Amino acid sequence: MAPVAPRSGDAIFASVEHVNAELFTLTYGAIVRQLLTDLEEVEEVNKQLDQMGYNIGVRLIDEFLAKSNVSRCVDFKETADVIAKIGFKMFLGVGASVTNWDADGTCCSIVLEDNPLVDFVELPDTCQGLYYCNILSGVVRGALEMVSMKTEVTWVRDMLRGDDAFELQVKLLKQVPEEYPYKDDE
Amino acid sequence: MAAIYSLYIINKSGGLIFYKDYGSAGRMDTNDSLRVASLWHSMHAISQQLSPTVGCLGIELLEADTFDLHCFQSLTGTKLFVVCEPGTQHMEGLLKVIYELYTDYVLKNPFYEMEMPIRCELFDINLSQAIQKDRVALLGR
Amino acid sequence: MIGAGKIKQYSNVLDKPLSKGKQEVSSSAFAFLFSELVQYNQTQVDNIAELERRLEDAGYAVGARVLELLCHRDKGNRRETRLLGILSFVHSTVWKVLFGKVADSLEKGTEHEDEYMISEKELLVNRFISIPKDMGTFNCGAFVAGIVRGVLDGAGFPAVVTAHFVPMEGQHRPRTTILIKFGEEVLRREARLEHGNFNDLVKAIIATPADVKYTISFLHSAYDLSHE
Repeated sequence: MAPVAPRSGDAIFASVEHVNAELFTLTYGAIVRQLLTDLEEVEEVNKQLDQMGYNIGVRLIDEFLAKSNVSRCVDFKETADVIAKIGFKMFLGVGASVTNWDADGTCCSIVLEDNPLVDFVELPDTCQGLYYCNILSGVVRGALEMVSMKTEVTWVRDMLRGDDAFELQVKLLKQVPEEYPYKDDE
Repeated sequence: MAAIYSLYIINKSGGLIFYKDYGSAGRMDTNDSLRVASLWHSMHAISQQLSPTVGCLGIELLEADTFDLHCFQSLTGTKLFVVCEPGTQHMEGLLKVIYELYTDYVLKNPFYEMEMPIRCELFDINLSQAIQKDRVALLGR
Repeated sequence: MIGAGKIKQYSNVLDKPLSKGKQEVSSSAFAFLFSELVQYNQTQVDNIAELERRLEDAGYAVGARVLELLCHRDKGNRRETRLLGILSFVHSTVWKVLFGKVADSLEKGTEHEDEYMISEKELLVNRFISIPKDMGTFNCGAFVAGIVRGVLDGAGFPAVVTAHFVPMEGQHRPRTTILIKFGEEVLRREARLEHGNFNDLVKAIIATPADVKYTISFLHSAYDLSHE
């Protein structure tokens, strides 16, 4: 079968069904509120949001692959580009750019152009340690793990904490090789 | 008349998570279908190593006297394959459609547990419509 | 360092202009988020009734905010004060904003005066969800029931709101009906308002020149006019 060219993030977003971002934003807010009530500790909420994002990521990756026609990326650089340009656009309708590459090409930043999760949101004094958007870092980590990339994803800048942008740092820990059921020496 | 005999979905560790028979030919009991799934999983993996082509992703089509087997593997390792009448067309397209149905009605279902057998009513309903549509298209040719 | 993205920074969220509500995300993004909301809540409960209650609570939080948002943005800081007004607000305005369409139907319960039903052939939140057989009549629409309760409660119409699957003739899938049972005080107030409005109407007629004719039809009760 001839490989199909990957589609642009804009083209995919234009072709999929949409919902009002406010429903999405308010539902996410309801989740964060539930976690704050259930877990009490802000640190625990951060962890749980990341875990929930991870759970979403491991499921969402297949839809991403199915709709984008993206085939295997040659390296981590291409992967990061694909996440920023196609992934964020396709699901959230927002663009993102990749910056701050380290020398060996295993660590970079994804800067969001917009963030629908945080409309209406201001962190109260009691929640200053909260990474409100931690679900997004979990999604990226979970999705990449399903295509054999172990990563660490953390917020470097967060506008809810007074920074001037939303910036995620994605660090490739290791690329798990394809696993075969039979090894040569067996 | 049935062009498609059966459909299999196997998870990335080779476990059969979905199996459906269409029509009367090539019907199989549960044990046999499990056996076919794990056999195919291994053969698919071996073929990637045996292939002289670098970066081969495994067998896409197996042609036999009495059936064709078309296989699609996603980058996440999930494999879908259909067994059909020899020469049946458009199976790659059908597999792609089924993959999308899987991302919609299986992966978005909060009651589906990853890697486990698929028991989702909406997936079944939409799947049979997709297969039906495909059959109609075939008959119409 | 690369500079900020395109988002403007505000020191206070209240300085930020209220969005027009036209922004969208993919319905998949919402579906995955909602699915995870259900999965998380499943880990927090022992039975289905509790799961329903927790989804409803999550929805309530959404509904309460949607009311504030829409009253401010779409209704010039006014809100409905009458029963039918608020029901149609939920069925039309709220539904349109949240789910992109007006709800399929709004009906009055036939057996009970205090019951109303909003039905949807395919509720947005249920779009991709198959309920396992062992969960019986459980409906993730509990979340939407919560939204409705949040809107109604915030507007001063306390009600018990529940979501139910209702089989449809000739349809593969049941539709979801959101059943609203208003609190007693709501109906009492409503009856009072109805009476009050009628009196206003009579006053208006008396003050009108005699050549204007009115037809007044009574629904189900006669009002005592003598004291006017």
